[in-house]
Amino acid sequence: MSSGRLVLEAKGLHRNYGSVVAVDDLDLSMSEGEFLTIVGPNGAGKSTLLSMLSGAMRPTTGSVSVCGEQLDFGRQEWRHRIGMLSHQGFLYDRMTVEENLHFYGKLFGVTDLEDRIASRLRRVGLSERARSEVRKLSHGMRQRASLARALLHDPDVVLLDEPYSGLDPAASLVLRDVLEELKDGRRTVVMVTHNLREGLEMATRIAIQVAGRFHWEGSLKGAGWEDFESRYHRVVEGRV
Amino acid sequence: MSTYLTQVWAILRKDLVLEIRSRERVGAMCAFAVLTGVLFNFSIDTTTVRPNEVATGLIWMTLIFGGLLGVGRTFHLESQDGALQGILMSPAPKDAIFIGKLIANFVLLFVVSLLVLGVFGLFFGIDLGRNLSWVVFVLGIGSLGFVAVGTLFAAVAEGTHLRETLLPVLVFPLMVPMVIYGVGAMMPLLSGRPFTEVEGNVRMLGAFALAAVAAGAVLFRYVVED
Repeated sequence: MSSGRLVLEAKGLHRNYGSVVAVDDLDLSMSEGEFLTIVGPNGAGKSTLLSMLSGAMRPTTGSVSVCGEQLDFGRQEWRHRIGMLSHQGFLYDRMTVEENLHFYGKLFGVTDLEDRIASRLRRVGLSERARSEVRKLSHGMRQRASLARALLHDPDVVLLDEPYSGLDPAASLVLRDVLEELKDGRRTVVMVTHNLREGLEMATRIAIQVAGRFHWEGSLKGAGWEDFESRYHRVVEGRV
Repeated sequence: MSTYLTQVWAILRKDLVLEIRSRERVGAMCAFAVLTGVLFNFSIDTTTVRPNEVATGLIWMTLIFGGLLGVGRTFHLESQDGALQGILMSPAPKDAIFIGKLIANFVLLFVVSLLVLGVFGLFFGIDLGRNLSWVVFVLGIGSLGFVAVGTLFAAVAEGTHLRETLLPVLVFPLMVPMVIYGVGAMMPLLSGRPFTEVEGNVRMLGAFALAAVAAGAVLFRYVVED
């Protein structure tokens, strides 16, 4: 449930690659506890938007604020508040899951690191593979290890870029359970996905992004995902 | 330990752990050093030249070419699974990331430089005993300057499609002062001259290394940030 405290705010966010506009003058406000799912076709600028919200990419114009603090690339403190799960895991193949988490924990200045690692690994169901090298894990396990990494420093804002990509149904189920736990009312989550059904399950808000803009924004409000799917196609095809 | 030093140590430790497990870079550098020594041994007639003078230049050139093999791949470690982005999205200052990688590269290159010295000492019959500690000191300073330039430009090259092809073009022109002062310091030392004779060259080499480290630490963020 949303408490009303503004956590994530983007104003006039714009990014272009040469003459190609990826994100076009986009505004976004999210309160604590909200779970926004952004869907849209390939090339809609969803991942670019997420990269700018995470501070991995500078906007061409516009600004992003987290908990009232504008992302300033000269200072790094705001990075403590953001956790990102991308389709790339940011993990080192030749290090164990535990070593990877330990490494990122040190970079983020996590204090109770050993306890935190144990707790995160339990949460994603990887305690027994803590000492396995990442290269020996299945894709689903890697994704869960990446999720543990993204949540290690207890971020206020969690950004998920295609978290279900390449997962089999069993692995998707495990990931969904973990993501469901993120809806603890304290975290603000933005998820980008192609998968409408999985994207809608957890969302408190939904946005359909086409050509760098939100062309539709709202919530399901009891409507089935089939209704949303037909709306999605109408929006993407420009019929709304 | 301060947060900054903890972050530097985390990067340094991670790079060394990955290198110990893969042995990709140090293996390539050592193989290059030994094979180059062998080839020069057969291609130069040491009875017609002064071995100390020829060997000094060859040691530095071998160090630069071999070092480029290892230092040039320093960001390949990060390219797997987007790990560089993961590091850049952490609160670790960019200069801490640079310093951590620089120290890791220095450790690897310094080990290789000792091997190069041993190989050329053996093949060219150089008496290393008299000034060995000063020669190692000079090689250490030179290695530091080289890895500072190499680490920065490896980051530049990693962001282009040319990668290793581009790296020598960027790095070699900046190595000219290092070669001039490094050879200028080491040649007399290998001939048994006292350190006081080469102090000026060593100071210049040290100044070059410090300037390269400082410039790298400042410029690194502009190279890696989008």
